[in-house]
Amino acid sequence: MAKSQQARDVDELVKNREWWFVAEKTRSSRLDYLRKAVWKKGAIGGNYAPGIKIDLKFPQLFTEKWKEHDGDPIMLQKANALAHVLDNTPIFITDHAQLVGYVGSAPHEIVWHWQGVSMVNEEIYNEQGIIPEPEQESLETLAELNDYWGGRTAVDKLARVLDPEDAVKFMSGAIGWGTPTSAVTYSTKDFDFIFQGFEALLAKVEQCIEDTEEKLQGEPSPELLPLYEKIPNWEAMQIILEAGIRYAKRYARLARTVAEHFESDPKRREELLRVAETCERVPAKPPRSLQESFQFDHFVQVILRYETFEGAWPHRPDYVHGPFYDQDVNVEKRLTKEEAIDLVGEHLIRTYEVGIFAPRWTREGLQGITGTWVWTMGGVKPDGSDACNDLTVAYMQAARLVRVSNPTFGFRWHPKVKDEVMRECFECIRHGLGYPSMRNDPVLVANSVHWHGHPVEEARTWVHQACMSPCPTTKYGCQPFRMASATANCAKMVEYALHNGYDPVVNMQMGPQTGDPREFKDFEEFFQAWVKQMEWLRNILVRTVNLGRVKDPVFFSRPVLSSVYERAIETGTDACDPTNGERGNAWVTGFTWVENADSLAAVKKFIYDEKKYTMAQLMDALNANWDGYEEMRLDFVKNAPKWGNDDDYVDEIMVRCLREVSRHAKEIKCPSNNNWPLLPENVSGNIHYSSVVGALPNGRRLGDALYDGGISPGPGLDRKGPTAVLKSCGKFDHVTDGRAFLLNQRLSPTQLSGEKGYQLWKAYMKTWADLGLDHVQFNMVDDATLRAAQKDPEKYQEVIVRVAGYSAHFVDISRKTQDNIIQRTVQGLG
Amino acid sequence: MATCKECKSFFGREDDPGQGDCVTRQVDPRQSYYRAKPVEAEKDASKCGSFQKK
Repeated sequence: MAKSQQARDVDELVKNREWWFVAEKTRSSRLDYLRKAVWKKGAIGGNYAPGIKIDLKFPQLFTEKWKEHDGDPIMLQKANALAHVLDNTPIFITDHAQLVGYVGSAPHEIVWHWQGVSMVNEEIYNEQGIIPEPEQESLETLAELNDYWGGRTAVDKLARVLDPEDAVKFMSGAIGWGTPTSAVTYSTKDFDFIFQGFEALLAKVEQCIEDTEEKLQGEPSPELLPLYEKIPNWEAMQIILEAGIRYAKRYARLARTVAEHFESDPKRREELLRVAETCERVPAKPPRSLQESFQFDHFVQVILRYETFEGAWPHRPDYVHGPFYDQDVNVEKRLTKEEAIDLVGEHLIRTYEVGIFAPRWTREGLQGITGTWVWTMGGVKPDGSDACNDLTVAYMQAARLVRVSNPTFGFRWHPKVKDEVMRECFECIRHGLGYPSMRNDPVLVANSVHWHGHPVEEARTWVHQACMSPCPTTKYGCQPFRMASATANCAKMVEYALHNGYDPVVNMQMGPQTGDPREFKDFEEFFQAWVKQMEWLRNILVRTVNLGRVKDPVFFSRPVLSSVYERAIETGTDACDPTNGERGNAWVTGFTWVENADSLAAVKKFIYDEKKYTMAQLMDALNANWDGYEEMRLDFVKNAPKWGNDDDYVDEIMVRCLREVSRHAKEIKCPSNNNWPLLPENVSGNIHYSSVVGALPNGRRLGDALYDGGISPGPGLDRKGPTAVLKSCGKFDHVTDGRAFLLNQRLSPTQLSGEKGYQLWKAYMKTWADLGLDHVQFNMVDDATLRAAQKDPEKYQEVIVRVAGYSAHFVDISRKTQDNIIQRTVQGLG
Repeated sequence: MATCKECKSFFGREDDPGQGDCVTRQVDPRQSYYRAKPVEAEKDASKCGSFQKK
C-alpha cells in the first residue's frame, strides 16, 4: 500500500535528521499541546526567559503562618507553615492535562526558597525581569520578607558556628560549589514504602506517638528523656501527611468543578472526572492504575519541592510504575499503548515544567536547566535478574516524542539487557537527545558495596542521586541530603601546588604552604605537594558539609521528607538526622579534575625528565598567564602527553592521582562514619570556573574553558581515536578508584545512521563494557547543525545537546559552552 | 455588600459551607487553564475586579 503524504513527510524529516519536526508530526494532539504549553524554566545562558516570574504567594503564606508559630520547635513551625501553603496556594489544571500538580501558583511562576541563604534573597530583589507586576508592590513585599528572614536562614545560622577561616575560604568561590544545607539539596525516595499511601503512613506515625506517650508515663529515668524530642517530630509528620491529602483533594474538587460546570466536551469531561477520582484516591491510599501511580508520585515530588530546593530528581520510574503499566496495558487492557504513551509523555512534561529559582552561580553551572534531573532506567532487580520492562521502552519512545531536556535518563546497562531495549536507548541518542547516559550496572553495584558497604541486594536498587552517583532506595540506603558544597574545583589542587598554597586569582593564601616549586628537587617532591593540596581542599569542603549536615534538623528541618522516610518515622527523627541509621553514601564531586593529570604530566616530562625548561621558566610563564610565552605554551599543549590517548606516561599519573584520593577518601568520614570517594564530573562547572582557575602547565590560560567531562580528554586533545580514549579510561578500576567517572563522547550522526550505525555503536559499547568503564554519554549532533544554530537560534530552538551530566537545549547555553561542545572531538567508530 | 458566595466563580465546599473555591478560566501566552484559590463564602467581594453576580 502506498504511504500517506504524512508518512512521506516524516520519512523526509527523518532522512534530514530534523528530529523535533519528526516528534511534532508523530505525537498525539494532546502531547503536542502540552509540550508547547510549557513555560521554559531553565535559564538561557544565565537569565530567565521573558515572562517567567517569582511566585510571591508561597513565601507570603508560609511566613504569615511561620510567625504565628514562633517559639514552636522548628519542625512543628515549619510543618504548620507548609500545611498553610498547601491549603491556600492557588492551584491550576492545564487544558488537556491528565496529571496535575505544580510547584507555584501559575504555570509561568517559579518558587524560591528564601529560608536557605540570605545572599540568594538579596539576589532575587535585584534580578531583572522576574518580579511580578505590579513591580513596586512586589518589591516592597520582597523587601519585607528579606528583612524578616535576614539572619534566620539555614546558612546564616550555620555561618555562626563555622570556623571563621573555613568560612572565608569557602565563601571565596574559588574551591567549592554549593551550600551546606538541605535548603539546596536532593533526596532519594523509597516508593515501595511511600506507595502504602499517606493514610497508612499516618497510622504508623500515630501508633508511634501513642506508644511513646505511654512510655512517658513510666518511671522516670534517663532513657525517657530523648523520647520527649521525638513527639514534635511525629506531630510535624502528621500535619504534613494530612495536608498532603487535603492538597490532592483540592485538585479533585477543581477537576470535578470544571467537569460539571465549565466543560462542554463529553470526552474531556470524562477525563476530568477521572482526574478527580485519582486525586481523591492518591496520595491518601495506594495507587491502583498507571494514572494513579504517576499522580501519587508527582504529588510527592511537588510537595517535597515546596519544602526545599530539590536540585535533582533521584528516581527509577520504569521500576516504580512498571507493574501498573503492565497491568493496565497488557493484563487488563484498560489502556491502549497509545493512551499509555500519552500518560508517560505527560509525566515527562509535568516534570520538565517544574522550576525553582536558582542564584546566578548555579544558573551558570547548570545552563539551560533547573536541576540535574537524571531518571534511572533499566538495571536489575534485588535478586539480580533483568529489571527492564515495557515501561522502560515506553519512556524511551515518549522521550523522543516530547523531547524535553529535563528529566534525562541514565540507563543501567548489564549483560542481560535485551537487544530491543538497547535499540531504544540508541534511538534516543541517535535522535540527538544526548540521553540516556549509559551506566555499567555490575561495576556500579560492586562500587556501592565497596565504598559504602551497602548489601548487594540493596545496592541493586540504585538510582542516580543526581547526575552520576548511585544511591540505594532502601530504608537505610536512602540519602536525604546531597553534599552539595563538597563539590571541589579540583584544578586548584595543581594550581596551589605550583603557588605554595596561594591562590593567584582570588589573591588569598588558601591551601597549606607546601613550598616554592622552584626549590623542588624532583617530580616526587612536586607530586607530594599536590597530595597535600588535594587533601586540604577536600578536607575543608567535607568539614563544612559534615557540620551543615548534623545541624540541618535544627537550622532548616525537613518535616515533609521525614514523613515519607521509613527510618525517620520509626525513630521520631528528622530525615536528615545522621543518627537514625543512614548507612552513608557521601561523595565529593570533582569538577575540573583532568587538568591535574595533564598538568602533572607536562611538569614531569618537560621540567624533570627532559629538563627542557626550568621550573622558574614555567612559573614565569604561568604568572604571566602565558602572555609573551606563546611558543612555549604551544609546546606544552601539543607535545606534553595528554590523557585519553592510551599513553602510559600520563595515564599512570592519572591512576596515581586517583589512588591517592581513594586512600584519602577512606580516611575522612561523613557523619554516618562512612567514606568520601571522589566523583569526577563537571556539569557546566568547566565554564563557570574558567575565570577562577589561573594558567596551568597543560597550556591553559586564565579564562579558557576547562575540560568538559570527569575523565573526558581535553577537547581536541584526544588524537588517537575512540578506542584509545576507552583504553586510557580503562586503566584504573572503576570500582575502587572513585565513585563514578563521567565520560563525554561525540559521535557522527552520518556514520551512525541505519542498522550499520546501530551495530557500530553496539560494538563500541561492548568494548566500553569489557574495559569496565562505569559511564559514557554521547552527543550525536553534527557541527554544521550546531554552527547553524549559533547563527540562527530562532530556527533551532529545539536542538538538544549533552552538556555534562545533563542535557540542555543548545540555544539556552552560553556561547562559551556552545563552543566548548563544538570543540569536542567527533569520534569515528569502526 | 457583595460577597464571594454570590459570585459565579464561587463553588462552595460540601465539607465546609463557609469555605469555597474561586474557580476562573485563565489564558496566558502559552496555555489555557482553570485556576482555583480558596476563599471564604462571606468575604467582601466589592473590590474584586472579576466579580460576576450569579
